[in-house]
Amino acid sequence: MNEAEAKPLLLDLFRRLRRAGAVLGIGELLAAYRVVDEGWGGGDTEALRQLGRLLWCKSVQEAADFEEIFDAAAAARAHVPTEPPSPEVEKEPVEPQPTPEQPPSEPPPSIPATEPPRRETGLAALPLRAPPQPQLPEAGEDLRAYWPVSRRSMVYTWRYLRRPVKDGPRNVLDLAATVERAARRGLFLEAVYERRETNHAHLVLLVDQGGSMVPFHRFTRDLVETACVESPIGQVDVAYFHNVPPDRLYRDAYLTEPLPLEHALAGCTPDSSILLVGDAGAARGYRNLQRVRSSTQLLVRLKRLTTLIAWLNPMPRHRWPGTSAELIAHLVPMFQMDADGFSNAVDVLRGQPLHPRG
Amino acid sequence: MTDMSKLTLPADRRPPRGRHPKAPKTPEPYVATDELTTAVNLAIYLRRPLLLEGDAGCGKSRLARYAAYELGLPLYEWSVRSTSRAKDGLYTYDSILRLHDVQLQRHGSQETGGDDREFGRKATKRDPESPMEYVTFGALGKAFKEEDCPAVVLIDEIDKADIDFPNDLLTVLDDPWKFEIHEADEPPVQAKHPPIVIITSNKEKGNLPAPFLRRCIYYYIEFPSDRLKEIVDAHYAARAKEEKIAAPPGDLVEAASERFLRIRDKGDLYKKPGTSEFLDWLEALRGFRELKDVVQLLRDPDAKLIYPELLFKLRADWQRYARA
Repeated sequence: MNEAEAKPLLLDLFRRLRRAGAVLGIGELLAAYRVVDEGWGGGDTEALRQLGRLLWCKSVQEAADFEEIFDAAAAARAHVPTEPPSPEVEKEPVEPQPTPEQPPSEPPPSIPATEPPRRETGLAALPLRAPPQPQLPEAGEDLRAYWPVSRRSMVYTWRYLRRPVKDGPRNVLDLAATVERAARRGLFLEAVYERRETNHAHLVLLVDQGGSMVPFHRFTRDLVETACVESPIGQVDVAYFHNVPPDRLYRDAYLTEPLPLEHALAGCTPDSSILLVGDAGAARGYRNLQRVRSSTQLLVRLKRLTTLIAWLNPMPRHRWPGTSAELIAHLVPMFQMDADGFSNAVDVLRGQPLHPRG
Repeated sequence: MTDMSKLTLPADRRPPRGRHPKAPKTPEPYVATDELTTAVNLAIYLRRPLLLEGDAGCGKSRLARYAAYELGLPLYEWSVRSTSRAKDGLYTYDSILRLHDVQLQRHGSQETGGDDREFGRKATKRDPESPMEYVTFGALGKAFKEEDCPAVVLIDEIDKADIDFPNDLLTVLDDPWKFEIHEADEPPVQAKHPPIVIITSNKEKGNLPAPFLRRCIYYYIEFPSDRLKEIVDAHYAARAKEEKIAAPPGDLVEAASERFLRIRDKGDLYKKPGTSEFLDWLEALRGFRELKDVVQLLRDPDAKLIYPELLFKLRADWQRYARA
């Protein structure tokens, strides 16, 4: 395959990858062109496949998807190699350098095309490559479709929830004050240190667990983990409930250690933030008055403690009408669980909502 | 070995006289697959960072040392910590020391330091008038200042740092390859030869940010099941030169790797041992103590595993195999 054939294939592949959701810019396409111009992928389809994988795949998961997309693109261009390219054709432009040590001072006009290790052929028309399967905690094919908030963006967003107070150890150098004091005294005696800021934000997370929330356990787990471990929030209290909030609270995600509501809210001050996470009946389309009533009771009780209350609903907003979620959303700012919804919820939790409710 | 399985540096970026004086002197035993070599060559050619992921102990960090040795380039390593900031890799500025020196100078007692660092603070007598003497360059900063050829920079375990860290690095690792030292009135440090950047990650804090990934060449290093023998040979060939250690006998290597792979591929381990653990284990089998019929014991699947403490690092794995 020559350069003129390689580029349309790369362009087609690039379009297909972008359609499949890969984060690739025009710069990545041009980089691949540059490499092809230098004669790298000129060898055969396998060399192009390798080039595309190295340049455009950023995780093992993507590399696995890439194989399929590449096969489709190659087939569409009717360059299906029914037999492996004959070695004579390849060898012609790429003469192996006989000297195994230091490369010669004369620059080779092009870096030789790469030749992948030959696999057994004859099983299929297209040389297939089994996707690598390392032990990574990544989702399977089916679970990847719904990915509203990534763990990383959770960590970012939690950062906005802060209430900095300077009461940490006195170990931050105050450069301005040091210079000023030295200037006033006429000599430098010591550096001036100030106290480190610590985050005094207090967050209570009430998470619906089990039942209709099972499909979202992945997110609630990430949410709790990022809030507890990877966020700067000073104090995070987590409690779990099943379906209806005030009934029973539990300390653990398996709903085995009961926790009285008073204990869960014991540390609450007017500065505390409370985030409820649950589908509020939207997942199964319930409109259960009992459920609405008990949620209302809880919300009224919480509102006596603090005004910084938000509800995160893993179901998208268009699924709320007609369910208890619609009613509860009138009582408390409720957001769907995507990147925007989550940051809006955190804005409410820090007392600076984007659209203040009247 | 054909030419395509070798690391290649474009001619205009090769060090004069073949090797840079600061290039690693001792060879790094390393067996790179052709695809990995292509990945490194691509990264060099496109001047993009190479991001390596893979299990612990499968040779991510060693690739940088290997590349530096093979290409004859200087190597600067930067082990990222949880407190690292992107600026630390470029330079650090010691303002307290400067203030201190100003005071001493004013009071007549000029201190002399024996600091013979090659970059930044080079004067034995520091002059508080010139801020550059209080600048210490980090791994990237040193690489940017290489005059004759690019340097290899290893940014080890980038995922350990704060989540902003990769994004902060991005602006530096791109055209026009320069950075400013804000504390000094100096022209920006401009890299004559953009460094070859090799980054390793274990994905401890989830994925790296998308804009950062977009810039990188990505490669996942798999456990080299079918190359263990080759790796052992390379490893002992290098050690034989330095320490006069004989390579383990062939049947021992064969029996050990068979047993090792059988345990590893069974798939019931919580933490799979990596290449480095295998090499340690093999070394223990070879030279720690005289053992009778080692090969026999290794080949017998019912026999107790020898030196399990080198392979299993979690209690559950230990209990399953060491006690069996």
